[in-house]
Formats: sequence, structure tokens, C-alpha cells
Amino acid sequence: MIDFLLPSLGADMDVAKLNCWLVKPGDTVHKGQIIAEVETEKATLEVECWHDGVIEELLVEPGPDRLPVGTLLARIRSLDEAAEPVAPLEGEPAAGLVTAAAVPTHKVSGQPPPPVRHLAHELGVDLAALGGSGPDGAITRDDVRRAARAPAAEAPEPFVSRPTRVRATPRARSLARSRGIDLASLPATGPQGMVSAGDVARTAPSPETIDEPDDKVSAMRRAIARSMSHSKREIPHYYLATTIDLDRSMTWLEAANEERSVTQRILPAALLIKATALAAREVPEVNGHWVGDGFAPSQSVHLGVAISIREGGLVAPALHDADRLSLDELMSRLRDLVSRARSWRLKSSEMSDPTITVTNLGDRGVDTAFPVIIPPQVAMVGFGKVIDSPVAVDGAVVVHPVVTASLAADHRVTDGHNGGLFLASIDRLLQEPENL
Amino acid sequence: MNTQEARQVIFEVLGDIAPEVDPSIVDDDLDLTEQLDLDSMDYLNWMVGINEVTGIDIPQREVSRFLTIAGAVGYIVEHSS
Repeated sequence: MIDFLLPSLGADMDVAKLNCWLVKPGDTVHKGQIIAEVETEKATLEVECWHDGVIEELLVEPGPDRLPVGTLLARIRSLDEAAEPVAPLEGEPAAGLVTAAAVPTHKVSGQPPPPVRHLAHELGVDLAALGGSGPDGAITRDDVRRAARAPAAEAPEPFVSRPTRVRATPRARSLARSRGIDLASLPATGPQGMVSAGDVARTAPSPETIDEPDDKVSAMRRAIARSMSHSKREIPHYYLATTIDLDRSMTWLEAANEERSVTQRILPAALLIKATALAAREVPEVNGHWVGDGFAPSQSVHLGVAISIREGGLVAPALHDADRLSLDELMSRLRDLVSRARSWRLKSSEMSDPTITVTNLGDRGVDTAFPVIIPPQVAMVGFGKVIDSPVAVDGAVVVHPVVTASLAADHRVTDGHNGGLFLASIDRLLQEPENL
Repeated sequence: MNTQEARQVIFEVLGDIAPEVDPSIVDDDLDLTEQLDLDSMDYLNWMVGINEVTGIDIPQREVSRFLTIAGAVGYIVEHSS
């Protein structure tokens, strides 16, 4: 049996409220599946499960209680583990228990083997409603596949329904999600016959949470205050900066984007982030966490990206394995990450996993950033505005786009020498954009 | 798509990126990124959103037309069938 605990939620985030469960006892879950939603001071987070198994028991009800990180939330039975002793089929399940025992079981004695249960979950087939064609009436994978092909009307209603895709504008989708409204139930008076934000607003009752963003912003401000105070109190920062010639990168990017549709376009930030991730792999002393009294390097590069929130504040969730992503993958994930961060929807692992963070303040017209490290990380990289500047090339002065890359690093872990190597790696990598 | 419909699409998509923006106070001829404090990701997502709603692509060489509402409206009207 696996204990499912409230996971770490990022720097100085040590409590959260359980908003809702997205699974119920008896559901098969898979590694990486979102199974609950919690709310911290910084964001609403989707909590992932890190094991394959079956939900045996949900131990905490959603509610306003602030739960400490590490709280036992549920128990998960691994797929090859027998179910906890349950009441015999002919008996009554124990009253008041929200456990797998309360979930209807199939008609024949004994659970179908895990592969059958897994397939049934994948195809949305209720095993309890199936007769088995196997030996002794056992349910087989073919039985499950046949049931899955049966007309939908005969299928049991799934616990979490998957609505058919309704044509709606992005704003309407966002509003409907935030107000818990089914888009399919709304009139569509928007452009191209889509459901518009106005359609949602007219239908939805006035949200009681209208002031919620303000509350979230002030809570986020407190969280940032704690984290940054901790950083400046505990971490002996040192700072380095270098100017990087981006002529090759920008020329390459311009040519690449010329061939692409708007949905495939790559922003300069993607190149800067990818170069930083690769450099962090080359100089592992900047990539990891300060734990207890020492540095724990990370084998993976989970690059935190500082994202400002329009209402105020910022979050810095991780782009997992950023060094291994192609530029297209990285750009796509970056767009998704920014959108979800700004609509207060991130995954718990994205908040807890960053091993080094990048802040890009170029859009705000800043030449040089002087970052504050996010504990327990040991380094943070800043990029300023890309500007045209005179540079010396082969003895001649020419005008090229340049950017200032800066590094704030933890002197307990590295010295200026390591930091200098790291910035030099970023520079070198940006001179070969086709290899990023 | 006429001018009014193009404006509706533009502000509908913009509303997802900058929900606090009141369309009535946006100057059609001023730089949108400066007026509304949009960063490069907001700006790209806005153009992608317009593409998703209208099906109209926005090549890199035309991006500058989307720096203002007036430019964006003109582009959409010209390229909608």
C-alpha cells in the first residue's frame, strides 16, 4: 500500500487547502495523473500521483482546512497488490467508510487481473456491469473491448465526464472553467458561431469570488516576502554579468520564423532558456539545491521560469527537463506554462521541482537584471532587453543585437570562477543556435 | 468578416490575456503592448488566439500590423473570406 502525501509545493509553501478530488476509491491511477486540486498562497495547483495503482481510500475531505505538506491524503494500492480485505460480496460494506470496499465489484468472485482492470479504466468500462466470458465467468480483456464498442447509451456514466468539444473563444473557456459552467449548456452568439465570454457572463451567476484575485495577490505577496527574505538572510549571493552578441541567434531565429505559422513561432526567450538549461548541464555546480548543510546537485535540469502575474506578483514554475527538449517542444511548453501560471493553474511538481531559475526582464525595457535566488536553489540567471549595440567583430565596429546575461549564485556552493564558466557556456551555446 | 466582427474577435481574445482591459479606453492607433503592458508571450498568445478563432495565419513579416488595434482589424478584414 502506498501512502499518498500532500507533496512539497515550492519554496516556503508549507500548507495548502484541498479543493477537490478528481478520483474516487476504486479508480485506477497512473504515474503523472492529476488526482487532486489544492490551493496555496501562490497558486491553485493540480497534484499529480507518482505511482500506478488503484485508489484504496481517500482520507481527507475537501474543505477550508490548511493542511501541512506531508499530510496523508490517500492510500493507493499498487496494481500487483491484492485489495485490502474487503467485506464479502454477499455482505454489506462497513458503514461510513469511503474505501474501495464501497465501490461495486464485478459479478464473479475475485477481482479481474490488473491488466483487465487497467484496460477497463482506459476505455471507461464499468467492470461491475460486465459478465465474463472467460473460465469460471472471469472477465477478459476481450469482454472489456466489446463493452467499450457497445453503444454509448449502454455505458455507465463516467465519474469524471468528458464533454464533447464545444466551439468557444479562449476567454469564454477560461471564464466557464472558473465559474464551473458547462459550455455546452450556453447559447453561442460569439464570432463564427462560438460561445463568447459575454455568453458565459450573461448565464453565470455573479461570482462570489469576484474579489478572489485580490486575495490571491496579497497572499502571493506574503509568500514572496517570506521566500525572498529567507533568501537574502541565508544565501550569500554573488553577482556576475556578461554581454552576449545575439547576431547569430537572432538571424537564425528570424529565418526560422519566416517559414512558420503563428502557432509554431519561437520567441527569443526560448533560445535563452534552452541555452541556460544546456549550460546548467555543463556546469552542474549551479544546478541543484542547498539541503541542510550542503549542496545536492540535480541530475535533471528543471528550469524555473519567472512569470509575472498581471494582477501583481510572480511565480517561477519548472519547465521539466528543459535541457532535453527540442526548441519547438520547449516553446510549446513555455506557452502552456505561462498561460496556466497566469490563470492560477499549475501542477504541484512544477512549483517544487525547479533546480535553477531564469528571469527575463527584457520585455520590461530593463538592461540588466540582478536576481534574488529562490531557495533552496543556488543560482538564478537574468536576461535583460535585446538591444542593438556597437560591437567589435574582426577588428571592425558593427551594430549587433546584444543581451546582458547576469547570474546570482550562492557563494556557499560556487565561486566566481564557476559562475564565469557558466555564463561563458550560455554565450557559446547562443553562437550556435541551430544546435539548441 | 467586417470591421465590427474583427474588433469583437480581437477584444474577445485579448480578454483572455488581459481580462482587466476595458475596450472603450484602448486607443486603436497606439502601440498595444505599451498601452496594455503586454509582454512578448502575451502578444504571441493574442495572435495565436486570433488565428484559432478566425483561421487566419499571421506571418512573421505581418506581425508589425498587430502592434495596434487598427492594424490588426485591417489585417483580419483583408484576409477573411
